[in-house]
Amino acid sequence: MVTVEEIEHVSKLMKINVDDHSEYLEKVQTMISYFDILDSAGVESEEISMPEIPIEQLRNDEHIPFGDKLIEKMNHYKGTFVRAPKM
Amino acid sequence: MNLKISALEFIEEAKNGNISVEEFVSTTLERINSVDDKLHAFLSVNDSVIDQARNIDKKIKSGEKVGDCFGMPISIKDNMCIKDTKTTCASKMLENFVAPYDATVISKLKKQDAIFIGKVNMDEFAMGLTTEFSAFGPSKNPWNIEHVPGGSSGGSAVSVSSYECIASLGSDTGGSVRNPASFCSTVGYKPTYGLISRFGLISYANSIEQIGPLTRTVKDTAFMLNLIAGVDPNDNTTVNNNNENYLENIDSGIEGKKIGIITEMIGDGIDPEVMTATKEAISKLEGLGAICEEVSLEMVKYSVAAYYTITATEAGSNLARYDNLRYGYEMPVEGYEFNSYISKARKKFGPEVTRRMIIGGFVPSAGHAGKYFLKAMKVKSKLTKEINEAFKKFDLLIAPTVPILPFKIGEKIDDPVSLFLVDINTVTANLTGKPAISIPFKIVNGLPIGIQLMANSMNDKMLLQAAHALEKTVTLPEVPI
Amino acid sequence: MTKIGLEIHCQLTNLESKLFCSCKANYREFEPNENICPVCAGMPGSLPRLNQEAVKKATMISMALNCSTPEKIAFFRKNYFYPDLPKNFQITQLNIYGDTSVGGSGTITVGDKKIRITRIQLEEDPGRLIYEGSSSKNQITLVDYNRAGTPLVEIVTEPDFETPKEVRDFLNILSDLLKNLGVADPSLEGAMRADANVSTRGGNKVEIKNIGSFHDLEKAAHFEITRQESLHDRDIAIVQETRHWDDRRKITVSSRSKEEDLDYRYFLEGDIPWVKINPEIKTELKSKMPESISSKKERYVTKYQIPEQVADVLSSDKFYSDLFEESHSESNAKEVANIITTELMGLEDTREKRESSKLTATHLKDLADAIQSGKVSRNSSKNALHEILKTGKTVSQIISELDLGNVSDESELLKIIEKIISDESEAVDQAKSNPQTINYLVGKVMQATKGKADPTLTLNLLKKQIGI
Repeated sequence: MVTVEEIEHVSKLMKINVDDHSEYLEKVQTMISYFDILDSAGVESEEISMPEIPIEQLRNDEHIPFGDKLIEKMNHYKGTFVRAPKM
Repeated sequence: MNLKISALEFIEEAKNGNISVEEFVSTTLERINSVDDKLHAFLSVNDSVIDQARNIDKKIKSGEKVGDCFGMPISIKDNMCIKDTKTTCASKMLENFVAPYDATVISKLKKQDAIFIGKVNMDEFAMGLTTEFSAFGPSKNPWNIEHVPGGSSGGSAVSVSSYECIASLGSDTGGSVRNPASFCSTVGYKPTYGLISRFGLISYANSIEQIGPLTRTVKDTAFMLNLIAGVDPNDNTTVNNNNENYLENIDSGIEGKKIGIITEMIGDGIDPEVMTATKEAISKLEGLGAICEEVSLEMVKYSVAAYYTITATEAGSNLARYDNLRYGYEMPVEGYEFNSYISKARKKFGPEVTRRMIIGGFVPSAGHAGKYFLKAMKVKSKLTKEINEAFKKFDLLIAPTVPILPFKIGEKIDDPVSLFLVDINTVTANLTGKPAISIPFKIVNGLPIGIQLMANSMNDKMLLQAAHALEKTVTLPEVPI
Repeated sequence: MTKIGLEIHCQLTNLESKLFCSCKANYREFEPNENICPVCAGMPGSLPRLNQEAVKKATMISMALNCSTPEKIAFFRKNYFYPDLPKNFQITQLNIYGDTSVGGSGTITVGDKKIRITRIQLEEDPGRLIYEGSSSKNQITLVDYNRAGTPLVEIVTEPDFETPKEVRDFLNILSDLLKNLGVADPSLEGAMRADANVSTRGGNKVEIKNIGSFHDLEKAAHFEITRQESLHDRDIAIVQETRHWDDRRKITVSSRSKEEDLDYRYFLEGDIPWVKINPEIKTELKSKMPESISSKKERYVTKYQIPEQVADVLSSDKFYSDLFEESHSESNAKEVANIITTELMGLEDTREKRESSKLTATHLKDLADAIQSGKVSRNSSKNALHEILKTGKTVSQIISELDLGNVSDESELLKIIEKIISDESEAVDQAKSNPQTINYLVGKVMQATKGKADPTLTLNLLKKQIGI
């Protein structure tokens, strides 16, 4: 069962500042409990599969500048920096 | 000026000079002005469209080469980047974001002289089934404005079905194109995974989502697919379709095709009206020479749980970049420390996105990944194996797109699991990467029912042929707006 | 028992473009945020496009370090928030679903020891941060994404090192190897960084990060070992933790960050399919790989009888071994090697000097030939070399202009010898009784001829004149 503490912990991890964790508690608990159904799927021995691409189809190593001055289209720039809060 | 024509009809008329593109586009704008207050499909309307239309008329008159779209007005779900245009994903987090580049599908359509009449509403960051989770208010179903239009590409479906545009591009992660198409009585298509480039589509769950057209007819969808499908160097997950022509031989019919009726998708919880409609569709297909038989895909039972686990994980990661440092909305950094700034900035996510972020942090986390995320990935693998087996015996698979009729706005918004299950018939195609289409089939008590067909990977052409065959057997009433 | 393991990050600076986009891989010449695009700046809707050459180069590195290379490689997301991380996740490699990183386990020899490589992975570098503002109130961070997306190869070793010196030697060997392979220039600022983990007497492992240079790494490892030993001596347990190297105070400091809770939520990168590297590609890569350092060294020793130490130095340096290859012939190889290692490397000890030097392979060849044929003495050849670097004139020109030619004319030499003998009668007597001391007189002749006398001829004539 997911607890308020766990939700608080995850919110910090995800940088989601939820003022009142109990507000989300019920719905999130319900949703995660629903996922318990996965335990009865019997898939322990399944392998995880992924699409493949041969190395020959990958991008060639060329320098192609973007063209537009991207920094001018971004927020918070001083000169040509992006500003972030202090660490 | 008659707006109630298909894309191919419009193009024919425009090409021959029978209609003026400018007049058509201008009438479309009037239509938007007159109905969109009620329907709220559009988040923004492009005011330079009349000029664009005028130019296209000029080109047509002078015999200059015109792109294949001939100025047809298309709406674009607001999670696709159009250069120098606001792209908000219906979220306050991106309410000031202006895209610095065009999505690949947008460049392709621009080259073909399509006109982007506006950006349409969606559930915030594509997370939802009803468009009720948009930060800018829900869209309404034009068939009955007290009912949801479906989601997350609600605005797309509404704008097409209410003649506010000829076609739309939406995105489908778990049914987000097919579901609103079914609820609003339009055609909605999700291609084989990798067929259409996702470059410029703002990611929600990148391993399973695709851009898909919503149109009035199946032929229109095939036409759009010809313009936007194909390998894109900007997207490593795109696949080579050898320049397939999806319109060619679309009339070939389905004589002799074997169609599997997915048992788990017509089970408990299905509305009787939907069940009846499904049976009717099966009869019609049999009448056309198809052979229909039930088939079981056991993993469908777990597909919704797997889907939400996987998508929450991917979304949690895909939305991490919204830290409001480079783009987003106005909030100065001075006086804050990094963690507190980010957390405060991200409070602008709506409640559903917030819930998914929390789940997305939980299910792949160190202590829980084995129970949730890894199991979900394994269900995905096993479901793919099952459906591949089924396609050894069957050419197509059929089920109702949504097991229930379009419901009232507000009805399911507080019941997350009940809302999840609306997706039960659609997530399989996303998890397995198979192409799927929703065809408008019936109107019952004024509410639309759509039928879904699925085919094996890269069999999009055959799928469209089957959908077209079914579509031809149906005549539907006009939308009452 | 001290155990040190390393995590080395090396930028593939010889690539043209970044790992996932076509911006320039070497960001050093750009103004802040001039080398960016929607992909490496993490704009909404952007997707990574994997660089084929990066995968090939990383595979080559793995082969050079004797690592296994899988048939398919996969990429993963490491999720955490930091302003230098444009997507707030890093695309990297892991081995949680079988062996999917570009290099598996391998070994590298350091001295007489075999160091085990755990794995090699391909990943992207984050951007750079500059801190501004003096007071806590007005402090902000400035972010430059020029470096974000630069291709990195991370090489992880087992804790097989026992002393900081071994670590230093290894890093030098690795640095030479990477340069020799042509994948990176480790001398570029920030191109090669390393973190270490240290454990002593079977205690907990401590990670040390934020080490600026290899020199600092040796110091940091040394400090950490001392710190741990002193704790052991007082029976205090070593806490398993991450510490960072404080360059100002030259100590390691505990990184008391909230990061103890950090959970990276690793999962497969859905935007990049698994990449198949078939055996033909690997064979092709292997055949294109430049000759390894150890193979070069062996060749120099066995084929040209170059002394081991000289061969060691020469083979480890790509620039000079290339120069050697160009300038030597069968007969003068040993001499060329000698000139390079004893003289040239010392003269051209900085990049600027090397770049502004006018020396060519022909010069080296001619100079070696001149020494061997006795036209110029080894001593004089040093002066000649100076001139060549500066002016680029031909060897024969310089020998005549500076009058460096050996005095090998017997009569001329005899005159000088006679004068020395008359001046140094004491030394002559000494030489008569103790023939070894004749070298003093040889030296005097050399002095008088400004080093141009042929040493062998001088010795023989001296002996004759003195009568020994």
